[in-house]
Amino acid sequence: MRLHEHEAASLFRQAGVPVAPFAVARTADEALAALEKVELPVVIKAQVLVGSRGKHGGILTAATADEVRTKTATLLGSAVRGFAVESVMVSKKVLIAQELYVGVTVDAVAGAITVILGTAGGIDVETVAKERPEALYRKTVVPPAELRGHEARLLAREAGFRGDLMVKIADVLIALYRVFRKSDAMIAEVNPLVVTPDENLWAVDAVLEVDDSALFRHPEMPKDTLARIDHPIERAAKQIGVSYVDLDGDIAIISSGAGLGMATMDVVGQRLKPANFLETGGGITEELMYKTTDLVLQKPGLKGLLINLYGGINPIHEGAKGIVRVLKEKRVKIPVVAKALGNRQEETWATLREAGVIIVTDITTEAAVDALCDALNH
Amino acid sequence: MSILLDKNTKVLVQGITGKIGQAQTKWMLAYGTKIVAGVTPGRGGARVEGVPVFDSVVEAVKETGAEASVFFVPARSVKDTVFETLEAGIKLVVVVTEHIPVHDTMEMRAEARKAKATLLGPTTPGILTVGEAKMGIIPGNLFPKVGGRAGVISRSGTLAYEVGGILAKAGTAPSTVVGMGADPVVLTDLADILKCFAADPATDFVTIVGEVGGIQEEMAAEYIAEKFKKPVIAYIAGRHTPEGKRMGHAGAIVQRGMGSVQSKVAALEKAGALIAKTPAEIGTLAQRLTGATA
Repeated sequence: MRLHEHEAASLFRQAGVPVAPFAVARTADEALAALEKVELPVVIKAQVLVGSRGKHGGILTAATADEVRTKTATLLGSAVRGFAVESVMVSKKVLIAQELYVGVTVDAVAGAITVILGTAGGIDVETVAKERPEALYRKTVVPPAELRGHEARLLAREAGFRGDLMVKIADVLIALYRVFRKSDAMIAEVNPLVVTPDENLWAVDAVLEVDDSALFRHPEMPKDTLARIDHPIERAAKQIGVSYVDLDGDIAIISSGAGLGMATMDVVGQRLKPANFLETGGGITEELMYKTTDLVLQKPGLKGLLINLYGGINPIHEGAKGIVRVLKEKRVKIPVVAKALGNRQEETWATLREAGVIIVTDITTEAAVDALCDALNH
Repeated sequence: MSILLDKNTKVLVQGITGKIGQAQTKWMLAYGTKIVAGVTPGRGGARVEGVPVFDSVVEAVKETGAEASVFFVPARSVKDTVFETLEAGIKLVVVVTEHIPVHDTMEMRAEARKAKATLLGPTTPGILTVGEAKMGIIPGNLFPKVGGRAGVISRSGTLAYEVGGILAKAGTAPSTVVGMGADPVVLTDLADILKCFAADPATDFVTIVGEVGGIQEEMAAEYIAEKFKKPVIAYIAGRHTPEGKRMGHAGAIVQRGMGSVQSKVAALEKAGALIAKTPAEIGTLAQRLTGATA
């Protein structure tokens, strides 16, 4: 789950990251009131869960109270990259001598944590990684080890910093590493970390993405995980406990695994157009399958439904009952093809056949797609 | 012959008294797996499908000589349980559990390396040596009675079943099917499993079933190019995946070209692997490679 900037900023500040003074406002009046805590000039930032807000008009500056009122009002009524702005963050505008990048992230290559210090901050770090890799300094830490003081100072020193500034940067890295570990984060990032002309540091941005699988042990995290999913069917899927991704086509897909789901999309995509990706994971029950089938059929204009299941951990014979209930209740007219193999496959086939589902017993997904094409006269 | 697991391997089932643990123990026994013990803390003395249950791994190992363990343990307890299992000296652990916090996985991975143990997962269907034994949830009825000479390594579970079945149908049945798990951080790398197949005289070629996201396939490609002498067939799922979308597996997310199907295919092709565009093509390529017929 991605946190809003102000939520991340609060956690960063608690951990000791020097975050520039800020307040959150949901109305223009609240933004004016914020000026009691935050000195002018200020930066007003739309709190939306997308990157590149600056480039898309989501970050404005204000030098007077009047400007704060009008610019906050402008942002609050608008959408940034399609995301409605419901609140803004009013932050002190700091003087900039240099912009740095600091980030802590899960490194799939090392299977460990990588701490990154970049001397070119304020711009997209992936671009820096591609065009100026020499501007990024990295240190791999294998948890449960902490990032130690001397390791952080060495990283800052390698990046060319000396004296007090080297020590201050190291302290920020250590604080950021702590937040990352403490909140079970996938990424904790400040871009840019500003160096002022008098060599002080200010974090003027805060990104924190928390591992969804770890939310059970983080009661302090926001509770509105579902509300943060934009697409209504994707949100409903998350609620049921399955993964749904909306696509352009008209053939609905249900699969019992992510890899199988992707392969099904690949094979369907050769002859037809997938309407969605859906995978149930290992939690199939009659009820889950009932809700899932109902869900994928909500999309208008569907021409067919392809169901691709394996009974390994999943009781597919139970799932079949849920599918059939939907087909009967909704009087589904589009062709439905099912390939369901594994434990208790014969029972599964019998249940589905009875409701008019076309059963494919061949192991290849191609055979299922062929059967669907035949049914569609495609 | 096979890698990691055969009919003589003494297997321990952790979380054996749970609903899934019980059901899967039955399937594993039916396939021929030599399950010698189960562990569920607090349920020592019970029996599941005739298998004795112990309170701790140490006890189970001492009493039964268990040497490999498969997990049906809830996500929040997996890390502690892995530490317990490694401490008891077990060298092969299959973590079937999904939705494990990635910070826990990183710690388990480090511990496994210290212990020089092979841990598969998280989110793995497990391992199945055709005609001999299986640890995990791979359905046995998709495979022939007797194993063949094709190694299979898959990041996805369900797709491993399909590919195993396709190879069997093509007349080139698998020797051992290994699910390595699909999380962004895995406990054992693809290249390390390839090393096991390199050393197995009963495996003639290996099929890699990869998917979009992560960089396991790219890392394995380096190893294949430098050291792996057996032929490799590879299929990477997710050609139709839109960018920036998470496709169920935590690892299956494409971001700005990293971990894309194209980058994986290019790396593997350069390393000399035969690329299948769909799962069914794996069968065709395997027949071409071996001269087998269906």
